[in-house]
Parts: sequence; C-alpha cells; structure tokens
Amino acid sequence: MSEKPSEKEGDVARRIADAVHEAGISLVASLPDGWIATLIRTFDADARFRHVAVNREESAIGLCSGAYFGGVGALALMGASGLMTCVYAISKINYTYQVPCLIFITMRGDFGDTAKFHVSNGLYLRPLMGSIDLPYTVVESAGQIAGIKRAWVHAKTYARPVVVGFTRDVLRGSA
Amino acid sequence: MTLADCFAFLIRQWRDEIVVTSAGNASEMWWHLTRETDRVFYLDASMSLASMFASGIAVGLPAHTVWAFSGDGAFCMNPGMLMVERQMALPNLKHFLVSNRTYGSTHDVALSNAADNDYVQIARGMGLSRVFAFDNMNALATGFEAAVRSPGHAFVVLEVEALGHTMPAPPMDGPELKFRFGRHLERIGGIRIFDSLD
Repeated sequence: MSEKPSEKEGDVARRIADAVHEAGISLVASLPDGWIATLIRTFDADARFRHVAVNREESAIGLCSGAYFGGVGALALMGASGLMTCVYAISKINYTYQVPCLIFITMRGDFGDTAKFHVSNGLYLRPLMGSIDLPYTVVESAGQIAGIKRAWVHAKTYARPVVVGFTRDVLRGSA
Repeated sequence: MTLADCFAFLIRQWRDEIVVTSAGNASEMWWHLTRETDRVFYLDASMSLASMFASGIAVGLPAHTVWAFSGDGAFCMNPGMLMVERQMALPNLKHFLVSNRTYGSTHDVALSNAADNDYVQIARGMGLSRVFAFDNMNALATGFEAAVRSPGHAFVVLEVEALGHTMPAPPMDGPELKFRFGRHLERIGGIRIFDSLD
C-alpha cells in the first residue's frame, strides 16, 4: 500500500525536476527508495524527461555513462543503498574512462532516519564516498535545490560522477 | 563456429555502426581483427553493462545504429538488462550476446549452469520478440540481414566455441579511448560532448 504524498512533497519534487531540467538533464534512470517515490513519479510524468526504470542501480550508471557519449545529460536516481552497490560500476567505468555522471541519492541512515535497516548507510555511506574520492554534496534545505546545476557542471569539470544527497526533511518538504 | 570466424563475418558487414564491446574476448577479438581506435568503445573495464552503455549512446544518436556486444559471463551477472532494453525499445540498438559458455577472458573458467542456460528463452521471457540465435556460419550469413539490418531492437545470440586462450586487450588507456571515441561521435552525430561546461 503506497502512502499518499503530501502537497509539500509534490512541490519539492517539482522544484527538483525544474532544477534538473535547467541543468540540461533530459534522461533520468531510477531505482526506487521509499523517500523518492514521489520524485520518481514526478520525473515519469514530466514530458521534459525520458524516464527509464532500471533493473538495478549499476544499470543506471551504465546507461547514464553511455548517454554522456550520446551528448545527453543524464541523471541516475537511487537510494543510499543503491549507491553502495555501484562502487564497481563507478570505479571501473567512470573512473577508468573519466566519464562524468550526476547521481542523486537519499541520505538514508542520517540523523532522523529511524529505520534500523539503514544504520549501515549512516555508518558507511559518507566514508565510502570519501574512500573512493567521489565528490558529493548534501541538500539539507529547499533553498539549495537551485544549486543542482552546479553539481552537474562540477561532474563535467572533474570528469567523474558527482553525488547529490537529499535529506528526508527536504524530500518531504519540511526543510 | 569460432569467435574469429564469427567476428570476421560481422566486421565485413560493418558499415557506420557505433560499436561497444564488453570486457574479455569480445573486446580482444574485435581489436585483434580491426585495430580500430575511434569507432569502437572497448568497455574492457566493466562487465555486464555494455548494452546499457550502448543504450545511452543510442538515445542520443537515434539516426545511428549501435552494436553492443556482451559476453555470456557478463550477461549472467545482469540478465535484467534485457528488461530495460525491452522497456526502452530502442530501434537503433542491436545487442549481440557472445555465448562461449565459459569465462573466456579468465582462462575458460566454468560458467554457472553453462550447458542449460537458454539465452533465447530468457530474452523472450522478458518480452523481447526480435530474438535470434546462430550457432554456425551458414546460419549467420543467411540470417544476418533479417536479424541485424531490419528495423527494431534486436537481441542476437552468437553461439561460439570457447577461444581456449587469452588475447591482448586494446592497448589504450581510458582517457585516450574516451576522447577518440567521443570525438568520432561528435563528428558523425553533430553533437557536443566535451566542450560544454554550461
């Protein structure tokens, strides 16, 4: 049974979609996390994007990396756990060939997340990103959403993926 | 059929298609036979994502056909790639599965359930309709046009003998491959990949 999203959550999802569009992104590959279900549906319903529901997060990395060579701005959207499964794809494809990619994740396991099964993300997500020198920024308030374009520019400048993490409060429209 | 004969035939049919080869024998043999440095992305560094990578290219260059090569070792790691391909239904993507029933690039170490894996049925089970399989040169020569030149996404299983030995990988570092291949796509596709930071 799906929980009905609040109006605020929908508003935030639309703001994120607008910022992604303004960044020049037109392809979105996603695998869900409960926190981003509304955001995924927003991308799926938005004619400005080609949304692809992928079978696993690594497929999103592969698809978005190829899109770069097709001249298409692409976003891989996933949960924190999904990113944890992508170390192979990122370090082998994106690092070996220096391919930029924009990745959105949930900041699962951070303060305020009461899910016991995400404690591992709280413990290891940030250290993992740091250990492979994966640049990331965390959006902690709605006012930071407009800065998404900078993350994509940063990825292209560095020629490697950049991760944008979203807190639960931002995604639910309360921050 | 041997991998060398199979690829030699495909290379003779190769016109202006964009080629993405997966890690192992596919990359090694394509390089060995062509020495091509610009029109091929040898995705040697990663297993199981060649067709996804090729799909991204195909999205951006719809007027160009993309040939993607996966080994069956890679395919078995991520067969769900076909779900995504079916959903995207890219008419300009032709996905070749090089089935040698072993991990060819690691000295033919055994592949799980190798004898019974039915890649055609797996593909059909995921909703693909344009699925083809060839296990000899005559069949490949006869069926190539219908399988590969006809419009629409295609999944083509190439049953080949295990190579029995390893071959040298393409001698290019990642950034060289990136820029050679990317500049080629910029030229043929009229797109900008590297020069826009805005």
